[in-house]
Amino acid sequence: MLETRNLDKSFGAVHVTRNVSLKLERGERRVILGPNGAGKTTLFNQLVGELTPDSGSVHLAGEDVTALPVAKRARRGLSRSYQKNTLFDGLTVEENLGLAAAVHTGHATQLWSDSLAKSEVREIVAEVAEQVNLMPFLHAKVSEISYGVRRQLEVGVALATRPLVLLMDEPTSGVGPEMSKGFHDLLNNLPRDLTMLIIEHDMDLAFDVADTITVLNYGEVVFDGLPEEARGSTLLKEIYLGSWENA
Amino acid sequence: MFRHNTLRYAVLIFLAGAALFQALTAGYFGLEILTEILVLAILVLALDIVAGFGGMVSLCHGALAGVGAYAYALLSAKAGIAPPVAMAGAVAVTGAAGWIIGAVCSRSHGIYFIMATLAFGQMAYSYVFEAPVFGGDDGLGGIERLDLSLIGLDLNDSRTFALFCLALLGAVYGAAVLILRSGLGRSLSGVMHNEQRMRALGLTVWRVKADVFGLSGMIAGLAGVLAAQHVMFISPGLLGWTVSGEALVVVILGGLGTLVGPLVGAAAFVVLKHELSAVTTYWHLVVGVILIAVVISRANGIFGWVEARWGARIERRVADATRKQQPGEVARDA
Repeated sequence: MLETRNLDKSFGAVHVTRNVSLKLERGERRVILGPNGAGKTTLFNQLVGELTPDSGSVHLAGEDVTALPVAKRARRGLSRSYQKNTLFDGLTVEENLGLAAAVHTGHATQLWSDSLAKSEVREIVAEVAEQVNLMPFLHAKVSEISYGVRRQLEVGVALATRPLVLLMDEPTSGVGPEMSKGFHDLLNNLPRDLTMLIIEHDMDLAFDVADTITVLNYGEVVFDGLPEEARGSTLLKEIYLGSWENA
Repeated sequence: MFRHNTLRYAVLIFLAGAALFQALTAGYFGLEILTEILVLAILVLALDIVAGFGGMVSLCHGALAGVGAYAYALLSAKAGIAPPVAMAGAVAVTGAAGWIIGAVCSRSHGIYFIMATLAFGQMAYSYVFEAPVFGGDDGLGGIERLDLSLIGLDLNDSRTFALFCLALLGAVYGAAVLILRSGLGRSLSGVMHNEQRMRALGLTVWRVKADVFGLSGMIAGLAGVLAAQHVMFISPGLLGWTVSGEALVVVILGGLGTLVGPLVGAAAFVVLKHELSAVTTYWHLVVGVILIAVVISRANGIFGWVEARWGARIERRVADATRKQQPGEVARDA
């Protein structure tokens, strides 16, 4: 469903991704681990088109999308959530989800009708709000909801475009342990045919949600395999200084 | 996102009533002032759509109005095209010009966007000023008003023309509301709040900006056509950046991003201008002081200030009502 071939990116003398090749099958849930500065977010930015790789290619559902801009990749089914909330702050939760759903349904540029009133859009909003537990907050403005709920909305907005592949950059970043557990359930309850690529530091979530794990270090893939293999990897323990030994 | 509330409806009804009363009862001078307000109101509505709801602060809307005025003058007076067709043609030409400006400037933001639009405006001004076909500094005269004698209206009569402008302003306001409540308008609001996210969701952001700028250009063009018909003469000054700056002052004075505020601003600005210029030639200074006071007060213009106080009062009432209700509920529970 999503494939990268020898993706390479440097900023001056700093080599941030080195020949990264990944292949995600349909419905696969892969977690990307790696210490700070490993190149995880830079990899995401290249996948969605916010950064252009120096070399290598990105393929979505068999199509080479390397030359496509962000919006075209999104319309082909590649959606992302951000590490820092990137929401429409002055708008309500419902409007946030509605804007995303309107783009997906093609109502976002219509002049003769209100996109947010369209039944197709409202159905997606209701469905996504249910999926990410936002029903009680639909009419609240983003500025009125808690940080944790905003993280849910961050994922919800990405989901409302009905993606083929959902990229999530640290979805539980900054949330407490209890809410983080809620996120595990939320992600596990998403449709099984949705392909997910998740950057995460929370080891519990990584091992709970992932079908496969990829570890980046200094921009390079140093591990690619099953969660149980990752647990036993000495190399990974060295990279993380044993931080998940008790996970 | 654009929403009406009780206050906005009330102010709209008051403004429409006052304008209608003025149109029906005022003498010649009063009608001239009213028409000036109505034409300016159309122009500032066009500007509020892009600046207040799309974050695209434009310094070329005066030039767009000028393009509309000159296009109408050339099509009707020089090419001999019937005024209604020339009017439609001028609005279409301005819409196209607005779309191109919007498309070219769509990737710039903030001060760069303002400067890019200013450059477009000044280019248009210089071209009109220099090209002989536009009459240079002398401008163009002999511009006809629409002939609506078929339906018994004589637009050469100041009162009828003012009523005609009022009707068009009403139609433009309705169109602006429809635009802002459409899918395009909702997306524009999303772009203003978070352009990066809208792009990441799959929206072609430049196209949305260009489309809305084009629609806004059409409205500005209509204002230009009416300005040309009003004074039956046009000169390059109409395209000058000071006209655009004045329109921006009016929008900020009234209340950016409220649609109703710019109408209040247009009325306040024109009335102030005429009243103050009768007293002093330095009337701009007074308007400047008022503008500074509005900006420093952090209120969103005159209407924004009223709306904020009105909103706070409603919140206080709701809080009081909740407080009063709570002891009763406790008593019932007990």
